[in-house]
Amino acid sequence: MYLTNTIYCVLLSIAASLSFTYGIEIPENFQKSNHSNNWAVLVDTSRFWFNYRHVANVLSIYRSVKRLGIPDSQIILMISDDMACNPRNPRPATIFNNAHEQINVYGDDVEVDYRGYEVSVENFVRLLTGRVPPDTPRSKRLLTDEGSNILIYLTGHGGDGFLKFQDSEEITSQELADALEQMWEKRRYNEIFFIIDTCQASSMYEKFYSPNILATASSLVGEDSLSHHVDSAIGVYIIDRYTYYVLEFLENVHPNSKRSMSEFLAVCPKSACLSTVGVRKDLFKRDPDKVPITDFFGSVRPVIITTDPIDILDIPKRKKKPENKTKVSEKREYLPQFPMHLVQNTKTG
Amino acid sequence: MTKPETKSEVEESNRMWASASFVGVLIIIGLPLWWKTTEVYRVSLPYDKISSFDTLSHSITTELTVLANDEATASEIVGLIEKAFEHSDVIKLKITKSILSKQLHSTLDSVADEVEAVEEVGAAYDLTKHNSFYVVQRKPLFQDTWLAGERVMFFRDAKAARTVVETLKRVVYQTSVVEGAKSEAADSARQTRFPPGGGYHIVLSVVHPRPDALTVELDAGEAVEDYIGSFVDELSVLHNFTLKSQWLHLLDFDFQAKEVRDTSDFGRHFAVRQDRLHLLLTKLEERMATHVSELPTINLALYAVPCERAPLVIYDNNDKKVQSHVQAFMSPKWGGVVLGGPSEPNCRDARVTWRPNVRVVMGTFISQLRKLLGITDAEHIEGAHLEPLRSVTPRQWEIDNLLRIRTLEQLTSAERTLQSLAQLLGEISNIVINDEVGASINSAVDSIQQASSLMTQGKLVEAYKMSQSAFLAAETAFMEPSLLALLYFPDDQKYAIYIPLFLPIMFPVVLSLKNLLLWFRGKPIHKEKMD
Repeated sequence: MYLTNTIYCVLLSIAASLSFTYGIEIPENFQKSNHSNNWAVLVDTSRFWFNYRHVANVLSIYRSVKRLGIPDSQIILMISDDMACNPRNPRPATIFNNAHEQINVYGDDVEVDYRGYEVSVENFVRLLTGRVPPDTPRSKRLLTDEGSNILIYLTGHGGDGFLKFQDSEEITSQELADALEQMWEKRRYNEIFFIIDTCQASSMYEKFYSPNILATASSLVGEDSLSHHVDSAIGVYIIDRYTYYVLEFLENVHPNSKRSMSEFLAVCPKSACLSTVGVRKDLFKRDPDKVPITDFFGSVRPVIITTDPIDILDIPKRKKKPENKTKVSEKREYLPQFPMHLVQNTKTG
Repeated sequence: MTKPETKSEVEESNRMWASASFVGVLIIIGLPLWWKTTEVYRVSLPYDKISSFDTLSHSITTELTVLANDEATASEIVGLIEKAFEHSDVIKLKITKSILSKQLHSTLDSVADEVEAVEEVGAAYDLTKHNSFYVVQRKPLFQDTWLAGERVMFFRDAKAARTVVETLKRVVYQTSVVEGAKSEAADSARQTRFPPGGGYHIVLSVVHPRPDALTVELDAGEAVEDYIGSFVDELSVLHNFTLKSQWLHLLDFDFQAKEVRDTSDFGRHFAVRQDRLHLLLTKLEERMATHVSELPTINLALYAVPCERAPLVIYDNNDKKVQSHVQAFMSPKWGGVVLGGPSEPNCRDARVTWRPNVRVVMGTFISQLRKLLGITDAEHIEGAHLEPLRSVTPRQWEIDNLLRIRTLEQLTSAERTLQSLAQLLGEISNIVINDEVGASINSAVDSIQQASSLMTQGKLVEAYKMSQSAFLAAETAFMEPSLLALLYFPDDQKYAIYIPLFLPIMFPVVLSLKNLLLWFRGKPIHKEKMD
């Protein structure tokens, strides 16, 4: 009798808690995120002309997140090679990501933070963990805090359990997982959305063990990630399949659109990608169905209107520090752009 | 018959000694050497001290003096205050009560206004001391309590006790904000103010989109120096500041403002929606070059709206016009923006010149700076009078409270950082802790202990300095570039390299061990021919 009573009680409490959680979830279509700023780390790890497509991948994602509102100061862009200035580029100063050379993703306002040989495993891990040398400028630091949602996008050549950097070194999945754990322990993020477009990509997120990470990969272990198409004028493959379909999806996303993360995760079916897109959501606490895509691709920037300006009555005058001002102001002027006096001299002479 | 035998015995013993030397080199010298050289170097750390940190236990002792006309009033006030702060786990009051001297009593009752009364109290008591506060009785008051910028609050009589307690709790000590400094999740004040640090870089940018159509007459450098400079000088006990000003010409931003007809001089205004404003910040950042300084930058921007788009009015998210004579907004942990422009008569001139009202613009920036640096504005309390701010100088007790908030915040942050680091070292076995990291961890632990004892002694400024050094040391320890060293050589890779190297040599050595042992025991090896 006692036993049945307790069982009954347990069942009741379970039912109560269930109804309680549903009670919270039903009214809102999307679960509120408590992040207060957005960051993006976009990395292309491979160099050389035939890897044109990786640079196009990463620049396309860069354009999209920028369009959706993440400011340049909160995007860390790492590009291993400068395709726009490559001597083999038939259209210098451009990088295209689509057929018929429609969209030039290079443009005039790309802010590359790490370029060329600066893109190394060491710099990448240093960037994530914040262990940068003390003289690193602030634009090269990931200055995130406990309220940051970070989008990490990696593209390059990889294998089972590693991603190659620069043809000379590689980052292993264990190193990456450890770096993310250190970020979590230092409260450097609120949530991470991890995208990787490379061969056997899902092996890179398998070792993750830190909470609040949603990860997706262009291919499973044992599969290759394929490129989308060749541009015959440029002569190389210009974009990867997975990123191509991601971009197609992002084209229709606007800063206040209501697409959910699970739509994003299903963006490239096997028929289109030719590889199986891997998803890992066991570390992620929210339901991707209820997470708007702008939680990672867009940017929140709270704005508070100031309504209480101080009405200053006595005008302050700061005591001048003597060392601050030089007494004699130096007079400077430009040299004449064209040396006319010389011309006149030759005339008279 | 004997000769070959001895020969084979000699050979045998040579062979055995050779294999013994192999064993000696490889197992007795090689293995320990291998073990030692591949060991992760870690300085011994005060793990027990780190794990014993209790981030919730810190409290700050602060002095409060109650001065009343008679013993009964003083006791009543003190009793109520003590009761109210009994359960506060951040602020421990050290209350002294005394009776006002006859002379001071009569002057306080006779002087005309409160400012003079404050001066009188200041002549008798030391109001410049950090972390002290005086609650003084003054009969001729119109309100229950009166509070201005000094560390003095006047109250009328024993009936005002409730207001006194409320004001102390919610205005002077702001216990909820102080508690928020050590809580796990960031409260709204912590989400707004900049994270603690040694210094900040303040930049005023005058944004001038149409220099061809509008002349702006403003000495930005002077304004920053005088107004912002005077303000930050008051906070010099907390942080170092560097000040700078710059002009950004031709930076145009499309506000997508809607023209609305009204009865002002212009006959119209342009309505900007609040949700559009954050894009202005992004636009500004493109040109502001805020990362030239190593310190975190507080951005202040004055946007000069040209005549054809003036006046610009912000509409909030409920489509209500913002009721303020300055159109301004701020973004937490970023900075503030003031939108300004010429007035209607100015715009009729052939050559439009705008002289911004420096007092108003700077007053707005100061108001924003206060919040960005952690001074929260007090709520209004029934019956309590708070003299509004009329200068750039923050109130003395606000600085004290900011010291308390920052001390707690830095201390908590340092402790959490060290605990995270300790946990990480347990989790990830191949992180090196070199001597420098060890030294900064040890110094952080020492500073934390000193700071928390200084806090209980009530030495606020020293405690703040100590907590700052603890905070910086803990950050350096965690962010030390050398901590990365062995992450490049995880265990599995270590074995991947050593095993192919050692296994082919170790195999015969280990197999020969048996023979070697038998030979040493003096038993013959059973390989002799039987013929």
